[in-house]
Amino acid sequence: MAEYVGIDLGTTLSGLAYLKNDGAPEIVPNADGERLTPSVVYFDAHEDVKLVGSAARDGGDPDRTIFQIKRHMDDPEYTVQIDGKPWTPAEISALILSKLKRECSRIIGDIDEVVITVPANFNELARKSTIAAAEMAGMKVKRLVNEPTAAAVYYAQTQNVQGRILVYDMGGGTLDVTILEVKGDKIRILTSEGARHLGGSNLDDMLLSAYESQYREQTGAALYSDERHRRRVLQAAEDAKKMLSKLQRVNDTVANDTNSGIARIDLSREGFEKTIRRMLTRTIMLVEQALDSANLKVGDIDAVVLVGGSTRIPKVKQMLEKFFGKPPKTCGNVDECVALGAALFAKSSAKIQEVCNASYGTLAMVYNAATKEEKLANSVVIPKGSDIPCSRTQTYQTSEDNERMIEVDITQGEDEDPKFIDVIGRLTLEVPPNRPKGCEVEVTFSYDENQRVRALVVDKQSGRSREVAVSYRGAGVLSDEELKRRSHHLRAMRIE
Amino acid sequence: MFKKVLQSLSKSFGSKPGAPAGASAAETIVPTAKAPAPVPSRAAAAAKAVAASPAQSPEQMCGVTPKMNKSEIHAHLKLLYRRYNRGASSLDAKTRAEADNMLDAIVQVREKHFGEL
Repeated sequence: MAEYVGIDLGTTLSGLAYLKNDGAPEIVPNADGERLTPSVVYFDAHEDVKLVGSAARDGGDPDRTIFQIKRHMDDPEYTVQIDGKPWTPAEISALILSKLKRECSRIIGDIDEVVITVPANFNELARKSTIAAAEMAGMKVKRLVNEPTAAAVYYAQTQNVQGRILVYDMGGGTLDVTILEVKGDKIRILTSEGARHLGGSNLDDMLLSAYESQYREQTGAALYSDERHRRRVLQAAEDAKKMLSKLQRVNDTVANDTNSGIARIDLSREGFEKTIRRMLTRTIMLVEQALDSANLKVGDIDAVVLVGGSTRIPKVKQMLEKFFGKPPKTCGNVDECVALGAALFAKSSAKIQEVCNASYGTLAMVYNAATKEEKLANSVVIPKGSDIPCSRTQTYQTSEDNERMIEVDITQGEDEDPKFIDVIGRLTLEVPPNRPKGCEVEVTFSYDENQRVRALVVDKQSGRSREVAVSYRGAGVLSDEELKRRSHHLRAMRIE
Repeated sequence: MFKKVLQSLSKSFGSKPGAPAGASAAETIVPTAKAPAPVPSRAAAAAKAVAASPAQSPEQMCGVTPKMNKSEIHAHLKLLYRRYNRGASSLDAKTRAEADNMLDAIVQVREKHFGEL
């Protein structure tokens, strides 16, 4: 049995790594001989089989092919309809994890317990859905770990990176920027910031637009009329993007799906860099946000390390070098270091101090005695960056006489202005009648090592209390019973 | 000295939802993010910022004025970026699109005042 296993469940690619007997992490290939498996699922119409990986990506009917399901893991209402049956994001992800488990087990033995990586800014529901996906695939999640944390573990343990490190992780679908301190084999996360819809696939879409406009200029026709052909051209655009990381100029020939002729696509690295420049500036603004969150300046960073396939783009490296005044470090296998780091993390998690990735609090009327101003504000109970696991309490007062029901909104976000935070839940507590306003209420938030939050409200006068975990309901969320039933069903499926 | 009085969205805006009187402590709570809330939403804020006038310049969209010095502009853009980067992750496609427009405006203002990277 493989004891320490890490899985990078990525937006576009997924990988599984384990620790060998000598303690070195190694990627385990799938049965197709690939080190990384495209996170794509195809539901065949003729045979009762689910294809996962390259065969799914390159083959079939786009209406039966699911790409980038990870981008929907936080949506409680999202489902995919196949032959009239709704599939939740957790179930689709479970199919990907099942392929990894089944095929990698043949090489390294049974896989029962795993560490799975998630983007640093994955919310409650997305984390819960990831755990559910693993359970359906027949694996117990030992820990969820943030992707940049896993990558940092890999860099620290294999590339001898020490000091204050900034991890710039630009994958297929998301960008994470994490700052951490590495001292020997101890790692302390200082902050993580993320941008959810900023990754390689956004750059592919921009190149696809270049293909479309050049095709139209030369033929006067649209490049594609259906999703199947759009996918093919998108794949060509992605290939061209990779080529532009090595060459200054790339040519391609494409035809549309309505016989309007062939066009010669001419792409230059300079043009590509101009196209993606603003997107890359956004990534630097996220770097600035991370530095601000950690109260650090550019000069405080000892090393910048690169993670994710999009960091192969030369402009990304140049931009970071210009910003930090030193070249970023890259390990070569930027696509694999998250999975490799997750396997290392499975063994050494006790030496890694992680922090809360978002602030949690409640809404309160905050009265400033000095200015005599009163305003509705987001009152933070657990500040972002607190060491986890943690628990924090704040005392509030009730607002009305004879208040029978205390209502506590649970907020996520740092901003004081309620317009710029999310209300992720509401907790109510019934209290005795005939009390004046101003009764004290303690609100406690706890945050566990898997970055999931619980809330406790205590009415100090009556001693009544209520403790809850944030849970979600919606078409895209499975109940515990349904989860068990579908797990059983999924394990009997043919997945290749 | 600050005094903090507990408020919920419903109390703050005067429309109390039907509270489950006598309900015993349940094990879970249901998030309200998708429920209609009277609080001015980020979507509304973004819409106000973005759609106030179609002819608005990126500076106008970002509220950057000629009186602001470089350091003020930098700090202001950072605040806006933090806010709208959150909006760009919203489940609501409209909010996401509006946040995306704002992020584009923020980057344009940044490039104009601080140069391209």
